[in-house]
Amino acid sequence: MEEVDRILIHSLRQTGTDIDDDVQSIKQFSSELIVEAVVRCLRVIDPTLGNGLSPSLPPGMSARFRVGMSLAQACQDLGYKGESGYQTFLYSNEPEIRSLLMFLVEKLPRESAEALDQPAGKSALLQKAIAAQIKTQLALPWLPPSCRLSLHCKTQSSGPCHSFHAMQLSLPYSLKAPTKKQAKGRCNFVKEYWREYLLPVTSQPSHHASVPASLLENHASELSAAQEWESEWNSQGLLSRLTPEEYCSRKRARLQKRIEEQLRAATQPRPDTHSTTRSTSDLTDLLNSFGGTTTGVDILAKGTRFTHSEKFTFTQEPEKAAQQMAAAASILPSSHQSEEDLKAKQEVEISALQEQLQQLSVQMEEVGGDIRQLTVSIHQVSDELKRRELSNSEKEDTVRVKKQTINLLPDAENNLVKLQSLVEASAKRVVYLASQWEKHRAPLIDEHRRLKELCSNREMESSRKLCEIKDLHDKIRQSAEEAKKKESLYKQLIAEYDTLPKDVSRSAYTMRILEIISNIKKQKEEITKILSDTKELQKEINGLTGKLDRTFAVTDELVFKDAKKDESVRKSYKYLAALHENCTQLIQTIEDTGTIMREIRDLEEQIETEHGKKTVSNLEKILEDYKAIRQENSALAAKIREGQV
Amino acid sequence: MELSDSVAKGLQTLADPAYLGLHHFTALIEVAFRSLLSSRADGVFDHPDLKIIDQALLKHCHVAATTFILEAVKQNADKSTISSCLEEVKFDTERSDAFYTAYQKNKTSLENLLSSIDGCPPHVTDASWRLDYCIKNGHVHKVNQPSYLISFSTQNGENGATSSEVNFSCTLEQLQDLVAKLKDAGKTMERASQL
Repeated sequence: MEEVDRILIHSLRQTGTDIDDDVQSIKQFSSELIVEAVVRCLRVIDPTLGNGLSPSLPPGMSARFRVGMSLAQACQDLGYKGESGYQTFLYSNEPEIRSLLMFLVEKLPRESAEALDQPAGKSALLQKAIAAQIKTQLALPWLPPSCRLSLHCKTQSSGPCHSFHAMQLSLPYSLKAPTKKQAKGRCNFVKEYWREYLLPVTSQPSHHASVPASLLENHASELSAAQEWESEWNSQGLLSRLTPEEYCSRKRARLQKRIEEQLRAATQPRPDTHSTTRSTSDLTDLLNSFGGTTTGVDILAKGTRFTHSEKFTFTQEPEKAAQQMAAAASILPSSHQSEEDLKAKQEVEISALQEQLQQLSVQMEEVGGDIRQLTVSIHQVSDELKRRELSNSEKEDTVRVKKQTINLLPDAENNLVKLQSLVEASAKRVVYLASQWEKHRAPLIDEHRRLKELCSNREMESSRKLCEIKDLHDKIRQSAEEAKKKESLYKQLIAEYDTLPKDVSRSAYTMRILEIISNIKKQKEEITKILSDTKELQKEINGLTGKLDRTFAVTDELVFKDAKKDESVRKSYKYLAALHENCTQLIQTIEDTGTIMREIRDLEEQIETEHGKKTVSNLEKILEDYKAIRQENSALAAKIREGQV
Repeated sequence: MELSDSVAKGLQTLADPAYLGLHHFTALIEVAFRSLLSSRADGVFDHPDLKIIDQALLKHCHVAATTFILEAVKQNADKSTISSCLEEVKFDTERSDAFYTAYQKNKTSLENLLSSIDGCPPHVTDASWRLDYCIKNGHVHKVNQPSYLISFSTQNGENGATSSEVNFSCTLEQLQDLVAKLKDAGKTMERASQL
């Protein structure tokens, strides 16, 4: 029974019942524990049935009685065959409870085995890891900072920290692939730069502390860019039926065009102030350069932008510098004059210069307006010119026709005939040409149709293939995901297997089961042996009684015959009858003793079971409970009476 | 563990015996670990074995190796993950074993390096207290209230280990409240560990 109890207690603990460690067998279960165990089991087996029941016994006696009744009802509903009622839970006896608990534990669903097939969620794993980490850290004693070893340094003191600070890194990439021919010259320079001057990455950031941050950041950005490209290519690029390079260049061109449009819209020449006109001219210039290099490589475009800005700064700088130099030179000789004079002079100069500047800008604007007007008028004039030329050529044509008709007029009739014949001939020729054309056209149209059909077929084929490719992509991704999932599951299971206690080995259990089975077999053999023995004995007894009966009948007859003749024989006959009767009585007594013995054994067993039922204590408990109920009842009655009064 | 194309390419170069012999490889791996851990910026490639290799190639390999090492430490990769990852970029067992031994040797210091990227609040290292009893003050003639002066000495991890003090005063109830909250926090930790 110990074995059974241990298994029962183990599975009850798994259902969430709080069983103390010192409870080793069902015998030690209290009523509260029984109720809790049964309710927990019911909740696992059938949540709708179990949720209405509370796992703790209420203090009131009548409420306890009700809980017991409802538990018994629930067990009956689940199909428990044995006897059960409130007394099963409240006034427990060991075998009944054991059988009930065995029934419930057998009914427990075996979901745990199936749940293991699913990989635990990432959050569950993470929580487990966190719990393990906290456990190890809690196990370490806290030490004051001066006593810390390096072991504690990691968890108990913060150590030097610095925030995440990533820097742009210059990396030597695309080393073996000088991809574009036009970039080859550049590539050589870059390669030389990489070889000779580029610092190793770990020396590039100004602080050594930001090396890992920069490297990680760089890698993450590369990864995410690759991922983005992948998703875009799968969603849009594949459908456009272009090679990746073509798709890229097209996208770049489209984007550049859009940027250009936006910039143009934003930089419509607004001659509000001097500075804006300058910046807009700068921008439009930039735009022109931008448009000019759209086919080039992006870095080249960047380069031209830089050269342009450079050109701007450097072409304007010298003029300014010269002016400043001149101003400085004019100031220099008068340096011995007083400072106030100098200041006044400078202010006058500045105001004069500003005036000049304003004048110049006004002039510039005026001239600009003039130029615009003039360009507009030039346009108009050139349009007019074109129109005139067109009308001129038309008129020339009509003049020529009229001239010819006038030439033909003198010999009108002849010419008419000639013209008619000419017209007829040309009409015939037209007809002939039309027929010829028809002849050529039909096969060409057929050819065209055929080609068109072929084309559409091809298109369909290609779209079908595209669909297939997409499906394949999806499948690949799915399988990869599945594989990853399986791998993680495998790892998790292995980790779990490693953590499982090794001492409770399977083989021991199977060994024990096999032992038990062989024991049972042996017992069964013994039982059959004993049964056959009993049967043999019964048979022997039957044979002997039959023999006895027959012998007695024969003897009885013989002696009876002789008894009529002889007096002594009659006496012996009497003795014989008495002997027979006594013997049957004896046998009867022996049989009676056997049955009584059996009865005694039965009764002893019953006494044993009754002893097991803890009848006395249970009766005492019942008596107490009865008293409690009566008290409750009287209290309730008193309350009612109070209420009535 | 995912690797970007450039890193994968660099590792492939690293794995290729045509570019790097085995002792060059081990030297480069050592250099990669050292350059991550030591703060001395100059002379990363001073190793005599590495002088003869094309410097651009060397720098690319170095970038790939350092990135791979950092990613592996970041993900707390075990041997099987690392070896499968290296197998994908065509490492043979000899090289991946060499890498793994170096990785094992430097793992804790690299972990410390990565965990030092953090902005953490100051740690309490010690506490001291004093019980004051205020009889009266400038405004009230009779106060008769006890108050605690608590002083936490803290250590601030940021910008090296600098220690400072946090001082405050509180009444008995406030102190009890503080203690109860701290106990609650401790209990919560214990509960979290028994998941």
